[in-house]
Amino acid sequence: MNTDFVPNVRFYRWAQIPLALLAVFFWASLLDAESDQSQPAYGDAIVVASIADARTLVPILASDSASGEICGLVFNGLVKYDKNINIVGDLAESWDIEAGGLVIVFHLRKDVKWHDGMPFTAYDVEFTYKKLVDPAVRTPYSGDFERIKKLEVADDHTVRVVYKEPFSPGLSSWGMSIMPRHLLKDEDLNKTSFSRHPVGTGPYKFRSWKSQEKIELVSNHEYFEGRPYIDRYIYRIIPDEATIFLELQTRGADMSGLTPLQFTRQTDNKFFRKYYQKFRYPGFGYTYMGYNLSDERFRDIRVRQAINFAVNKEEIIGTILFGLAKVTTGPFITDSWAYNKEVKPASYDPAKARLLLKEAGWADEDGDGWLEKDGKKFEFTVLVNQGNSERLKCAEMIQGYLKAIGIRMKIRVLEWSTLINEFIDKRHFEAVLMGWSLSRDPDCYDIWHSSKTREGEFNFIGYKNPEVDHLLEEGRRTFDRAERERIYHEVHRLIYEDQPCLFLYSAEALPVVSSRFHGIEVSPNGIGYNFIKWYVPREEQRYR
Amino acid sequence: MKEFIKNKMVFAGLLFIAVILIFAVLAPLIAPYEPAAIDTKNVLSPPSIKHIFGTDTLGRDIFSRIVYGSRISLSIGFIAVGIAVLIGLFFGSVAGYYGGILDSVIMRFVDIMLCFPTLFLILAVIAVLEPSIFNIMAVIGATSWMGVARLVRAEVLTLREREYVLASKVMGARAPWIILRHLIPNAIGPVLVSATLGIGGAILLESSLSFLGIGVQPPTPSWGNILMDGKSTLGVAWWLTIFPGVFILLTVLAYNLLGEGLRDLLEPRLRR
Repeated sequence: MNTDFVPNVRFYRWAQIPLALLAVFFWASLLDAESDQSQPAYGDAIVVASIADARTLVPILASDSASGEICGLVFNGLVKYDKNINIVGDLAESWDIEAGGLVIVFHLRKDVKWHDGMPFTAYDVEFTYKKLVDPAVRTPYSGDFERIKKLEVADDHTVRVVYKEPFSPGLSSWGMSIMPRHLLKDEDLNKTSFSRHPVGTGPYKFRSWKSQEKIELVSNHEYFEGRPYIDRYIYRIIPDEATIFLELQTRGADMSGLTPLQFTRQTDNKFFRKYYQKFRYPGFGYTYMGYNLSDERFRDIRVRQAINFAVNKEEIIGTILFGLAKVTTGPFITDSWAYNKEVKPASYDPAKARLLLKEAGWADEDGDGWLEKDGKKFEFTVLVNQGNSERLKCAEMIQGYLKAIGIRMKIRVLEWSTLINEFIDKRHFEAVLMGWSLSRDPDCYDIWHSSKTREGEFNFIGYKNPEVDHLLEEGRRTFDRAERERIYHEVHRLIYEDQPCLFLYSAEALPVVSSRFHGIEVSPNGIGYNFIKWYVPREEQRYR
Repeated sequence: MKEFIKNKMVFAGLLFIAVILIFAVLAPLIAPYEPAAIDTKNVLSPPSIKHIFGTDTLGRDIFSRIVYGSRISLSIGFIAVGIAVLIGLFFGSVAGYYGGILDSVIMRFVDIMLCFPTLFLILAVIAVLEPSIFNIMAVIGATSWMGVARLVRAEVLTLREREYVLASKVMGARAPWIILRHLIPNAIGPVLVSATLGIGGAILLESSLSFLGIGVQPPTPSWGNILMDGKSTLGVAWWLTIFPGVFILLTVLAYNLLGEGLRDLLEPRLRR
């Protein structure tokens, strides 16, 4: 039930819930593009229903999709992705790449003001950079910026970034939101009150935030790309899918994601056709079961392979997602150029799974139906976040498949922040059922590189493969698209061979938007990219 | 006439509890399917002869799950309340018998415990402990003894002034003896009533926890987690919500009726 308007994220986010309405590469829409006769008008409000509340509105600390969405409307990066996933200027008017990719010179827009009226300058960029690489700031995004040798302010509107070595994701990493130096220079970012009262340059200004209730934004009339048509953006937190759906049925929410069940069985009716527009396109993330690779049992690759053979992903997709998902075999978006289509998903073959486990020394010695090795039963607990019924059902199905081959999997549901802070960050788990929202650039160094295993970092399963490490480093150094394609295809193949986690599926994004909103265009980059151009014709407006 | 209707209600309550008991004890014989057996070809099928209560989102038979779920509900009800009664009896009788500072300390502790919203206290505990069935019983028990303690203390306060207690003291009986032999047996009536009512409450609490997904963990079926599954499909599959809901309602109602009946029986003072 999330929407992600962040027009420029290069970064991964925890996919707490599966229905991230993230922008995507390729699309298929149920909506026919009709010629629209209505007149754009200012006014009205959009009520977006979200299952989760934001955690912080300091953009460089925001690692969950709710925070990312709000930050994406309040802040800007230097660059962003347009509807065809090309990098275009945002706060930067233009840029020059010099010295074979070692240097990027950004020429900033001169007409940008912070929401409090102060002018935006190159010093804000420098400030944001310094905070990103400051070890005292707990940001998960430092990786890309640590590749920078130095960042110089040439004048008020020119920034020169020098990299230590060529770094291909460098340009897109500047999609990172820029923060105001004049407000934050004396603040501790981990504790600042700014996290609840952000001031940015974006199309919407922050107005209020009531925890677990709603976040309200108002349009920025001075926005450098023009005043957004919709005056208010209300982010309502409704922590339950079924309740969100009831809100849609009473038209209390204008926009949300649907569950596959709602999409296929509950919205094919007169009411929904009249009041809502449904969209459907491949999602921007995937769901997986990650193993704690420091666990002795999972360190044996045969065990991980066996689990891969034992789980019938097609059946999971058919049952839980009503077919609105794709089996995935690797760490990239299924339709991106980086995704290696040569890697075929393992077939469902419990017999083979049993054989592999037997090779690994697991056998049912006492005949109770569960496997043992050295007198110890094969039993582990998978952690799932609370409130995601789809993931819980998925866990229950996996439980059934594993039972059939003699592995006892227990399920433990945990509240989201407890799960992340107490279990994942502290490596206190055997297996987790989770999802990743992915960036448009395929660089996935932070998730798979063996150096990224400290507390709070993303390689929490502890994956280590020198060859993959090497390729990931090479992928970041290479600018040539064909060469990068080769590299990431290889990464994909190696990771799938290693099976550090059980790749399950990539669910489709199923957003629904009230039909009074016009100007929505589905693109390879989803629907959120032109949000400031959405409008409600005067006669259809509902809110003052 | 009034009495008669009331008796009938008590009887109905007893009867329903008996049915649930039979379900719990003979679950493998009664349930037509394995409660955790996933059948992807029969997802969300409405009630029929094959599946009298229909199937859930993973094609599991709801009736079988409810039958097995009754084991969880009953055992949690009994054991949690048992724990609560034991703790409550201990603190209540000690506070009531000794009085003074000990009484004040214990009763203020009871007040403090009562200040915590039980559900949230349990949520916090569950985040730390594994949410196994036993832990849930223990936690529910450990957070719901305060009512019993107050009740027992009030009873003991009056009982300890009775002549037979005095006689016992004169004969040289020590405090534990007096509490165990004279006070608790005489105070047990109201405790029994409140315990019976408490079973209903404990069942409801377990259902709430499971409904939130942090109670009994799958694949063990409990009425609460069947209900949770139904919530997201309410619009298309009413049978997932109605049946477990009705069972929770009737069971809690049955215990309440039984509790009322017991009160009439054990506390003639209250009879009109």
